Amino acid sequence: MATKTPSEPAPPQQQPAKNNPSTNGSTASAKSSAKDFPVGANPHGIPDWRLEQLPFHVEPHWKDGVYSYELIGDTETPVPPIRPSKYLSKEQSIEIFRLMLVNRRMEESLERMYKQSKVIGGLYLSLGQEACSVASAFALGKDDWLGPMIRNQGSMIVKGFKPRDTMMQYMARSGSPTHGRESGSHYGDHKTLNVVAPISHLGDSISVLAGCCMGARLQGREIAALGYIGDGGQSTGPTYEGFNFAAVKKLGVILMVEHNLWAYSTPVEMQFACKDLADRAIGYGVPGVIVDGTDANQVYDATYEAVQRAYRGEGASLIEAKLMRMKGHAMHDPAVYVPSPEKEYWKRRDPIARYEEYLIAQGWLTAEQAREIDAGVNKLMDEERDAAEASPMPDPAETATGVYVADDVVLPLKYGPVIVHVNQQAKLKESSAPGHYK
Amino acid sequence: MAAITYLEAIRQGLWEEMERDPRVLVMGEDVGVYGGAFKVTEGFIDRFGPERVVDTPISEMAIASAAYGASLTGMRPVGEFQFMDFITSAHSQIVQILAKSNWRWGAPAPLVLRGPTGGGVSGGPFHSQNNEMAYVHTPGLKVIAPASARDAKGLIKAAVRDNNPVLFFEHKFLYRRIKEEMPTEEEIIPIGKARVHRGGKDVSVITYAAMVYVAQEAAEILAKEGIELEIIDLRTLLPLDRDAIRATVEKTNRVIVLHEDTKTGGIGGEIAAIINEEAFDSLDAPITRIASLDSPVPFSPPLEKAFLPKVEDVVREARRLVAY
Repeated sequence: MATKTPSEPAPPQQQPAKNNPSTNGSTASAKSSAKDFPVGANPHGIPDWRLEQLPFHVEPHWKDGVYSYELIGDTETPVPPIRPSKYLSKEQSIEIFRLMLVNRRMEESLERMYKQSKVIGGLYLSLGQEACSVASAFALGKDDWLGPMIRNQGSMIVKGFKPRDTMMQYMARSGSPTHGRESGSHYGDHKTLNVVAPISHLGDSISVLAGCCMGARLQGREIAALGYIGDGGQSTGPTYEGFNFAAVKKLGVILMVEHNLWAYSTPVEMQFACKDLADRAIGYGVPGVIVDGTDANQVYDATYEAVQRAYRGEGASLIEAKLMRMKGHAMHDPAVYVPSPEKEYWKRRDPIARYEEYLIAQGWLTAEQAREIDAGVNKLMDEERDAAEASPMPDPAETATGVYVADDVVLPLKYGPVIVHVNQQAKLKESSAPGHYK
Repeated sequence: MAAITYLEAIRQGLWEEMERDPRVLVMGEDVGVYGGAFKVTEGFIDRFGPERVVDTPISEMAIASAAYGASLTGMRPVGEFQFMDFITSAHSQIVQILAKSNWRWGAPAPLVLRGPTGGGVSGGPFHSQNNEMAYVHTPGLKVIAPASARDAKGLIKAAVRDNNPVLFFEHKFLYRRIKEEMPTEEEIIPIGKARVHRGGKDVSVITYAAMVYVAQEAAEILAKEGIELEIIDLRTLLPLDRDAIRATVEKTNRVIVLHEDTKTGGIGGEIAAIINEEAFDSLDAPITRIASLDSPVPFSPPLEKAFLPKVEDVVREARRLVAY
């Protein structure tokens, strides 16, 4: 939260050199480049790439027998432009735009399926977070790992899964990657796509990703492993243990902290005492950066730099993406606890609409081409939905199969032979020293 | 070949596996230069280097799940918990991630998590527990608790070669107290197979780990009275060797289940239920459980002695069953 308090230095205000938009959110005026937007820093020296600071915060409010949250501050501040990318080409940028649309249209499709009672159990949506999921995963190479959370369904598409996979997961169909054993984004692929299946316990995947990097290093490769954690999830012990492990071993884990303002129904103000979660990078001893999580270019560039750092063997990085979860925790939750001006503020910061305006302003896309891309995505989604709905429910006879792996299954090394250092002079001697207890 | 201790047997087993297979690495707190709190990996870092003998921060959950992450890339990590009491700090990772991995998303987790367990050394409530049953209750894991040096070596090798997550409970009381000669040929002891520690016709004692020796002392006393105990060392607790349990019940018709773990929720109840389901007609007397008291493990020697099952408990119960 970037709220001002009298005891703290004011955060630096970064005003773009040009294209300072009006309140309607329009950025489409002229082509811009990265050098037009100097990077600021927070009071602890953490680079802050955002082009605006959040001008409000939330406080508990107890009035007329109702305890609720009240928004304090100004929600009518102008929408900033998209920060031009230092690395993305025109083609890559358009592909990110398309993938964000795939992410959104898939979830819209899922929402309809939910209302048609085709979804079994809960449905978790990522409206407003598509840039963070898509643009971060877009910076990964084929051999890198992804550790998504429940809302990072878009990142899994970038890694190579199809929308039908997530759809079948939610519909509990036999054709889903887990064959109906698990729901939503709780699937993965260790063989080719390198995606760790998330579990519901928050932060537990971070040390798994560290282990993936460790395994690769033993096979002679420095890789990156991108994991996500929410502002709520980062409160857990496993988050600390996992990321500290990655940091001290200089493993290429990139922790994307999605600061989406609400942990189920608990506002960030009641979740942690610091202002910027990127400050924690200082404690871990790794580089940290703050980005606008609704700006695909900021997300991509920060992740790209962290990935390159991982490839150089320099270790872990932490990125804090500021954004908002625009829906409830799951479909059953209408999020009435969120003050409505906050929703309106973020609605004007829609990552896809803003990116489209950016692409048009860059002269990389026309409005008509954008509509064509969207039409293509909608057509794809119809096919994906039809394929998903065609999958039967699982066979109950398969319930307890595959609990164990057979002895004769060969489990190959992923990156090549293990680099072996054996000192032949050192021999196994009898342990003479006493143990901890006699 | 000279007899070696239970501790040396585990050391040899791990060392030989690391020699044989470069995919095998050990990781844990103080396992490198210090060689581990009980010196199981002493000298390993000199031979295999810090890449495969990995000192970790004090983070049991990270040990468990980083080992798992490495296994996803094809490695075969062996994680050490300094004491198996600390396995509770990694409980979520073991139960939620490792155990469910293959079933959930077809990702095998070929790794071992090992460490010293059990009491009898005045270790107090946080260095003496027998926490195995939480994991015996978790489908997807294998749980091993060897009682002899030969089994410890043959089973740690089997655990390293297994394609599933294996928890390996080494009894710290046995580390330097028992010795045994190893076979000259390499021996891989199959997981899931019990062993007849002592043959006998009158009463079966189904047990594991350090309690095998409590049963053995009782057997020597009872033999003088003409009562022959048959001692079954389970060796593996998950999966349980139901055939061995059934066979001994059919032979002696009288059963004591003996374990150092506390009584309520201990494996004795599970074994009694298996006998009830599969060999009820063979029983000539009720099944008897002998276990530690339903209390945390105490520190002071007279308290710990009162807590743990004793030789005289086995002698008394065996006599009672014969007279039933």
